[in-house]
Amino acid sequence: MIEAGNKVPQFRLNPIDGESYLLVFLETDCPTCRLSMPYLNRLAKQGAQVVGVSQDSETLTREFARQTSAVFPIEVDSDLRISRAYDPVAVPAFVLVSSDGYVKRAHIGFDKDELNTIASEMGRGTIADAHDGAPPRKPGCSSRHLEPSDTMASAEPLNIYAALGSRASRVEVSEDPYEYCMREFGDPLPVVPPTVDRVERMMGGLDPRQVIGMVPPCYGEATIEKIAANAVMAGCEPGMMEVLLPVVRAACDERLNLHGVQATTHFAAPLIVVNGPIRRKLGFACGQNVFSNVARANSTLGRALQLILRNLGGAEPNGIDMSTLGNPAKFSYCIAENEEQSPWEPLHVELGFGVHQSTVTLFAAEAPHGVSEHRARSAKGVLKAISHAMATVWSYRACMGTEALVVLGLEHARTIHGDGFRKEDVREFLFNKTGIPMRAYDDDGDGTNQTHLYQEIIIDGERCYQKFRSPENISIVVAGGGAGKFSAVIGSWAAGPRGSQRVTYPCPSLL
Amino acid sequence: MSITIVNPCNERKPIAARAKRLQTLAGKAVVLLDISKPGGNVFLDRLERLLVERYAVAHVARETKPTYTKPAPVQLIEKLRNFDAVIEALAD
Repeated sequence: MIEAGNKVPQFRLNPIDGESYLLVFLETDCPTCRLSMPYLNRLAKQGAQVVGVSQDSETLTREFARQTSAVFPIEVDSDLRISRAYDPVAVPAFVLVSSDGYVKRAHIGFDKDELNTIASEMGRGTIADAHDGAPPRKPGCSSRHLEPSDTMASAEPLNIYAALGSRASRVEVSEDPYEYCMREFGDPLPVVPPTVDRVERMMGGLDPRQVIGMVPPCYGEATIEKIAANAVMAGCEPGMMEVLLPVVRAACDERLNLHGVQATTHFAAPLIVVNGPIRRKLGFACGQNVFSNVARANSTLGRALQLILRNLGGAEPNGIDMSTLGNPAKFSYCIAENEEQSPWEPLHVELGFGVHQSTVTLFAAEAPHGVSEHRARSAKGVLKAISHAMATVWSYRACMGTEALVVLGLEHARTIHGDGFRKEDVREFLFNKTGIPMRAYDDDGDGTNQTHLYQEIIIDGERCYQKFRSPENISIVVAGGGAGKFSAVIGSWAAGPRGSQRVTYPCPSLL
Repeated sequence: MSITIVNPCNERKPIAARAKRLQTLAGKAVVLLDISKPGGNVFLDRLERLLVERYAVAHVARETKPTYTKPAPVQLIEKLRNFDAVIEALAD
């Protein structure tokens, strides 16, 4: 591969003369290339010159650019001339070219630190946040020009993101269709019968056979048609597909580990958090009663996901879903952030998405644990009350294994912000003030046999074990109505790479 | 009068049939799969003894999943194929 200090080969890649630029070699079916796209978009949006080089056909490249909302030009190198000249062993490959045409840096694979270094060398700000849910590093795929050549091969490389499944079968129902659907496909509340007309309207011209994901734990095929049928049953309006498709993709993301979440004896159920302009467009509620029955959008999106998990994922509540006590969230669990009234940047912006982008975040969650604090007048007072609730997540004395999502009510958020706290200060404060007094460990119970793994900390003069592994295990969202000094703490299932990790997906425009 | 609806459920066929059930445990090779939950070994130690003493199992082997939160790795599943029966043992 071309190395730092080399003069770059002459190709017409159209960067502005006399400016440094970043060349990125990509394949449209490489998951790591897709993972890199939001970061490259962020770099390009800061005014840096980014030029993609796709090793696939123009058709696949156009589709890739559309799906990833690319904001920088991508050259088509389907004959691999440019790739052979630069000779990357794998993609994504990043080549930073100086204004005088020499390679300043060359790197293979996704690496957040490297991306930030590149941005910094291009005079731009940080583009990859450590705690945005994406892994710090991920290897990519072999470069197309090094793949074994086969003179018989003429087909396009497999585009796994456009895999086609089977059409859904049709069912003739001669009894009352409401009774039939409720008995056969329900949750078990009544559903809207997914008639052919309704499902067609829900799909809005999208390819019914396109596979969005395979839904764990039984890995049913979530085609657009199957997703639409469940969306109809849940009562969604047709526009909801714009959010539901990324929700299904996020649900099938290995990092969320739905296989475990859906089969565990624990309470966990995926909570959906909606961010960005799509909230207003589709009518998501983010104020009063945000967790309950306030808006069709929230209730039906959450329910559509749950029906999909059951009808396509096979998580039967009398069978493979082994939850001991279950969770009312398994009917529907979806909130939106109150971005307009929050004093801070919303969750998706904090994670590195643009303020004008819309996203869905999935989190394997317990039910909300309410925190009432009406007497505290300071940020620290409010946050201490919240930290006491956070100490009880999973089990009081169990530390280091879980995460928490804190939903700050508006009054609390204003009080905390009024004392000059930024979002990261809130996270840091809660991390440092949430602990379990060591005197609570004098008898046997959950968490008491693992104290050798815990971190000691002094909180208000008392020796404690720190509840969470790091501040990154605490996510913050602002939501709810204008009156009432309440917040909510939501515990996770087993956290981290061995458990379930929070995932965030953008909502690309479908048309 | 009938109406036509779109089947909203999974229609993919299972990729493998269920294994045949054993008629007897006597003389068989059985593997106990510990899913790595606390206390699993206590339960499995007792089960292993019972299998040998009460059911005349010829050979009892032990395997362990790296974590109970995720499916077993393919290599581990392949190892399990060498036995007549697998008992996946939960704990807690």
